[in-house]
Amino acid sequence: MKKRLDFKNFSIYFDQYLFIAITLLSIMGLFFLYSASQENITIVAKQAVFVGFGLLLMFAVSQPDPDFYKTFSGLFLLFSFVLIFLTYVFGNEINGAKRWLDLGFFTLQSSEIIKIALPIFLSSYLYNKSLPIDTKHTFIALILIGFIFALVAWQPDLGTGLVVFMSGGYVLFLAGLSWRFIGSAAGIFLLSLPFLWNNFLAPFQRQRVLTFFSPDSDPYGTSWNITQSKIAIGSGGINGKGYQEGSQAHLNFLPETETDFIFAVIAEEFGFIGVCILLSVFFFILVRCLYLAFNARDRFCRLTIGGLSLVFASTLFINLAMVVGVIPVVGMPLPFISKGGSSLLSFYLAFGIIISMATHKKLMQR
Amino acid sequence: MIDLDERHIEKRSFFGRLLLVYFFFGALFLFILYKTYSLQVSSYSSYEIAALKNKTKEVLIQPVRGIIYDRNGNILVNNVPTYDLIILPSRIKNLDEFIFNLSETINLSDEDIENVNKNFKQKALYNRELTIKKNLSHEEIAKFEVRSHKFGNAFVDVRYSRENKYPYLFSHAIGYVGGVNDEQLTSILKNQKLKQSETAFKYSGGFIKGKTGLENIYDKQLRGLFGRKSYEVDAAGKLLKEISFEKPINGKSLFTNLDLNSQKMAFEQMGERRGAVVALDLQTGAIVTYLSTPSFNVNSLSNGMSQSAFKKLLDDKDKPFFDRASQGRYSPASTIKPAIALFGIKEKIVDWNFTLDDPGFFVLPEDQRIYRGWKKGGHGIINMRDAIVESSNTFFFSLAYKSDINNLIEHLAQFGFGRNVCIDCFNPDTGLLPTPEWKMNNLNYGWFKGDTVNLGVGQGYLNATPIQLAYYSGFLASKGNIQGLSFIDGEAAINTTFKSDLSINNSDWEKIHSSMIGVIEDYKGTAKRLKPLKSYVVAAKSGTVELVSTETKEDYELVRKNIGNRDHAIIVAFGPMPNPKYAVSVVIENGESGGSVAGPVAIAVLNELIKE
Repeated sequence: MKKRLDFKNFSIYFDQYLFIAITLLSIMGLFFLYSASQENITIVAKQAVFVGFGLLLMFAVSQPDPDFYKTFSGLFLLFSFVLIFLTYVFGNEINGAKRWLDLGFFTLQSSEIIKIALPIFLSSYLYNKSLPIDTKHTFIALILIGFIFALVAWQPDLGTGLVVFMSGGYVLFLAGLSWRFIGSAAGIFLLSLPFLWNNFLAPFQRQRVLTFFSPDSDPYGTSWNITQSKIAIGSGGINGKGYQEGSQAHLNFLPETETDFIFAVIAEEFGFIGVCILLSVFFFILVRCLYLAFNARDRFCRLTIGGLSLVFASTLFINLAMVVGVIPVVGMPLPFISKGGSSLLSFYLAFGIIISMATHKKLMQR
Repeated sequence: MIDLDERHIEKRSFFGRLLLVYFFFGALFLFILYKTYSLQVSSYSSYEIAALKNKTKEVLIQPVRGIIYDRNGNILVNNVPTYDLIILPSRIKNLDEFIFNLSETINLSDEDIENVNKNFKQKALYNRELTIKKNLSHEEIAKFEVRSHKFGNAFVDVRYSRENKYPYLFSHAIGYVGGVNDEQLTSILKNQKLKQSETAFKYSGGFIKGKTGLENIYDKQLRGLFGRKSYEVDAAGKLLKEISFEKPINGKSLFTNLDLNSQKMAFEQMGERRGAVVALDLQTGAIVTYLSTPSFNVNSLSNGMSQSAFKKLLDDKDKPFFDRASQGRYSPASTIKPAIALFGIKEKIVDWNFTLDDPGFFVLPEDQRIYRGWKKGGHGIINMRDAIVESSNTFFFSLAYKSDINNLIEHLAQFGFGRNVCIDCFNPDTGLLPTPEWKMNNLNYGWFKGDTVNLGVGQGYLNATPIQLAYYSGFLASKGNIQGLSFIDGEAAINTTFKSDLSINNSDWEKIHSSMIGVIEDYKGTAKRLKPLKSYVVAAKSGTVELVSTETKEDYELVRKNIGNRDHAIIVAFGPMPNPKYAVSVVIENGESGGSVAGPVAIAVLNELIKE
């Protein structure tokens, strides 16, 4: 239950279900990361600092009233823009992509912030418009979404770009975007696929997609990752090989064990049982978000909770689908588990805001 | 104030749409759960195997080949260990410095260092050893061992070379070993249900296989069975830890019937001459002497020979690689006469009392063609015994003339002509026992009576290998009781299907023996010069193979100016009489006289064998 703990002079806003589930997930994440990083205590300690800070952040951002976020959502979005621009100017170039901003104590992936800021801003923007959303506001919103998508995809980071695009798209959809519009947009997208394929995908991205559709064409090249991931998961069996016993992970057959493919490590070491336990925690969080969205106090809160929880769900399922080999390889972390401060903090931030939206009641409305 | 109905509609639309997306994700969730289930539960075993295959590396371990002995337990072929200097590249950080320090202790040639530099990186990556210098001297080993504390990542270890102790004596009989191609290797390993993979070698030369001779024929027995060691490896192929170890089973030793001393004697006697010597133990049918000359050094072939040295051997006009004993085709010439005599007796064409007047030539009634003997003026009135002792051609021309060709061929086949007589010779030739069909098919001519007449003195189309002549000699010696020939005791008895059904009386056999003894013992014998060379009785028949047909001694003097046109010298012999233990055949190419040139070699070999 959402709660408002009354002390004499101030209230604490807190959702114990989400808090416990996310804390549990974070601790499991540290535990898995220790094995996935080949028992690298430095990596785990660094991640633990992020987890601790993230939990505090989540708690802190759940305290202000939703009106605070509504008021400052524009500023938040602006701030995110600035970060992205700074990334373009000062960003660290890694593997030909400028995605990270070196803040001295930590490198920030600026696109992780904007995927939170955008749905909040759109919810706030649509707060006092008449719904279902009309054509004019649809186009205004789409221009904004498209611009941000382009900024992120240009880094280039197509995976996060798509999530950012979705984060805005979900809010529009929830705000009643007309089916006819959705249908025609989908039609235009499909028709322009060949053009997009030739002009907007980098060769490595095209290769990933091609390999996905014919994995045997190149067993030791691009499809190596996905083959090894499937072997890791499959060889885990029902019970798993045991903690730190995963040969695929520990003998380096599996790539990116700490980040994109950490789910394969978990599946290898803890088997189908472990997978079910982990997924049920995620499932619980999503169901809880659905409940909170249904009980939100106003349109802004509803749209924000809906939008943010769907961003979370999208990240989760893209990662899972990639690791089990259902979609081509895209760089996408497993929320709260994968190594990486930016993604971790962005989700703590998102859930902090969700809790704020869910726990603050407008007394005057009753 | 927002209208309540409108708010209600908006809320319902929101819930509906949010639920729709949630259902979509719910379906995705179930799908991923199903996908994981199918990977982890339905297809578990295949992925388990895949993971196991990923992390397991099997290394084959080469067995050591069996040792080859002669009949007295002398080692003929052995595995000679050399002490090689081996390093562990993965543990060496600075190679140049390491090599520099090492070369202060052990002298490394530029070639050695180049070899190390070429292979170092790969061996380091895969955590494998690298041999940097082969065959260290005792002095080098001692020098290294004293300072070995300085070189933790280098050690001296044993690697084998295949070494024939008498590399020129047994080059054709035992043969050599050499590398195998991919296909051969695959089939060798397939017999053990193994796949080609990385191998820990016992031999400096890597995979080896018998290429010729006994090394080839008994390769499977000599080779042994590969062992295997399984290691856990990481994705880079680095060996991490040993999982299992199945020891290799070393090859079985080969106990041959070869006789080192007689082989040495044959080799000495042959000297520079081209030819072959084969001797048999009549009790077992075992080949005790087997020599083809000129010979070559098998060891240099077994353990790597330079391309130019190999080419030189191949191009040598005396063809040292050619195994004359099993593959050289020679006319048996007069050595065939005892077999023809037995045919005459068996078919009742002649008896031992039959005589004819030998004027020195035979005139073929059909076309008046003249067939000459070796002695001008002929042998006069002569019976069959003397025709053998003095080697009268006229007698045997006449005898052959009276023979039915088909019966004669069938008869000669019993003596081993025209077929393989050796069970474990390497690529033996069957020689040629000509038949009318053969002549028609190959020469497009019908069989002439003259061809039969020629067959009577072992000339013409008939030819045989020295191993067949040895078999023939053994057949005569044992009165037809001989099995197929073999280098290994017992092999002949087990593998042979030889059976002769010559119905010759013992008294006729005795008379043949007596005639052949006369060849040496009689004052008219063609090989009487051999008499003083021995202290026991030997039966023999010599032969001289005409390469160019001449009518007079003067003509032959012209012919013999070209060494390659000189007659081949042949002898078959067995002894000691009356109970012969050994039979021998000797062929000396362009040796001219069977009795006085090939004969001494045969006697020397018999002497050596009988002495033991």
